Formats: sequence, structure tokens, C-alpha cells
Amino acid sequence: MGARADGLRLWRMATIVSLAALLGLAWNAWSGRGMTLRANALIKPGEKLKEIPAAEAKRLLDQGALFLDARPQSIYEMGHIPGALPLPLEDFSTAFTRLEPTLRQRFDIVVYCAGYGCDASHELVRALRDKGVAAVILAEGWPAWQDAGYATATGAKP
Amino acid sequence: MRWLRHPAVYWAVSIALGALFIYASHEKIEAPRAFAKAVYHFRLAGPSAAVGFLPPNLLAVILPWLEAVCGVLLILGVWRREAAVLTGLMLVMFLVALGWAVAHGIDIAHCGCFTVSAGDDDGRWAWLKIPGDLALLAAAVYVAAWPPLRREPQPLASTATVH
Repeated sequence: MGARADGLRLWRMATIVSLAALLGLAWNAWSGRGMTLRANALIKPGEKLKEIPAAEAKRLLDQGALFLDARPQSIYEMGHIPGALPLPLEDFSTAFTRLEPTLRQRFDIVVYCAGYGCDASHELVRALRDKGVAAVILAEGWPAWQDAGYATATGAKP
Repeated sequence: MRWLRHPAVYWAVSIALGALFIYASHEKIEAPRAFAKAVYHFRLAGPSAAVGFLPPNLLAVILPWLEAVCGVLLILGVWRREAAVLTGLMLVMFLVALGWAVAHGIDIAHCGCFTVSAGDDDGRWAWLKIPGDLALLAAAVYVAAWPPLRREPQPLASTATVH
């Protein structure tokens, strides 16, 4: 009797989980608010934002690409990619005005932020694109660079 | 502690827990991409080079509906104990994620626990998230394990002594 009751409970729990999975997948497919399950949710459907892995970013850095750090200035000073300029998303207008002459001359800009759930680099690339400046994103940002064991710098200077 | 086995207390706790889970699910259901961002933030299910985006995205799509379905069942009293077990398992998962985040220095102010709009969660109550989840876990265990006592039938002895 006990084993039968336990079996019934397990069957009910499996049914609840299956129902939730069906509802979730159906809502994702047909509500118009869903996302591509295998793609980065930080990139809007149909949007052309390019993400590059840390190894490619390192290669571009070695070739002299310009790196922009989208994190707040205080975080930048704690550690950043060598040569990267701070362009905090929270202070975009002021920082862009300061950097505009440099940015307008470059076609090899890489933007990064705190990685994972951080979408500051995506927002920054969108803001730059609105100003007519093209840039790519370092996928998973600063943690990916650190995890790869590449060189870092600290302080206010690039 | 006999009052804990009173049907009114049991119903009240079940309904409160169910309502809270429905409330917690609605924004995530409306904005799955914003919730996916919160899931990425925890770094537990990915994304990573090894697993890609599928595991965190599936979690972001399915988990809010599991919260909602369990919430509805808890309120309606249908398969209530099973829904409470699943609610408890979700809370254990949230606690592990919060503990992991704290241990790794990841900010839990914008955990996507109840809201996915950063502007609505200014982090003032971040310290309450783990004790709050523990309290909800206690409520889920109560609903799953301690259903109300059934009222025993009255003994017929009193009628027998009338003669």
C-alpha cells in the first residue's frame, strides 16, 4: 500500500513537471515573447550583434584592436584588459563625447563587461551603433578573459 | 503544536505559499529573456563553452511555469502535497544558487527571485533572500508532510449507557 502510494505521488509530480515543461515550451514558441533556446538571450531575435571568444579577442588585441570596458569606472580600476579604455554604460554620453574622435577612426573595436548575465556590453554596442560606430563583443566578458589566463592591468590608466 | 494540524492553518499556509509562487512567476513568464539574463548571472547552469546556451535557456523557459502550476495546485488543493514537494525542491535549488552566488562573490540583489526588472529591485532586501527562502522551505515541508488530522468518528459508548 505504501509503495503504491509513493508511486502515485511520483507519477503526479512527474505529471506536474511535464505539464510545466509543455506550457513553458508552448509559451516560448507561440507567445511572441520567447527566445531561441540555443542562442544568447541577451541578443534580440534578428539582431546582428557579433560575439567573439576570448582567444579571438586576444588575437585582435595583439593586432592592436581597441578594447572598451563597459563596466563602471571603479570596477575598471580594480582590473581590466591591458590597453582597454573605460566607457561605462552608465556614463555613456560624457564618455562617448570624450572618446568620439578616437572611436570614429577605428574599425576594430571590442567591447566587454562583467560577463554572464551582464548585458552592458550588448547595450554599449547598440548605443555605439546608433552613433555610427561598429564594435564586436567579447563573449562572457571579463571572466572569460581571466579564465583564459591572459594578462590584466589595474588602476585608472589603460 | 496540535494547532498546526488544524485544517484552517493548513489551508492558509498552502494558499499563501501558492499565491507567492504565482506572484513570483508572472514577471518571469512575461519576460523570459530578462529571466534568462538572471539565470546566466548565477553561472550554475551556464552559459559556457561546454554546455552552450540551451540549459540556462530551458531553465528560464520552464521554471516559471513550474512555479505557476505548483502555485495554482497549492491554492486549489489539487495534488497539494505533491505540489508542495516540488515547491520545496525548487526552494532548495534557489538556496543552493544563492549560497553559491554569495560564496563566489556574485551579487544576489538582482537574482530574479521575484522580479526581473532591475529597477524594481534596488537590492535593499538582498539580506532577506536566504532567510526568506528558508521560511518558505519550512512552509513547503509543512504542507507536504503534515496534512490536517482527520476528525475521528464519535464513540457510540454514550448511547450505550442510556438504558
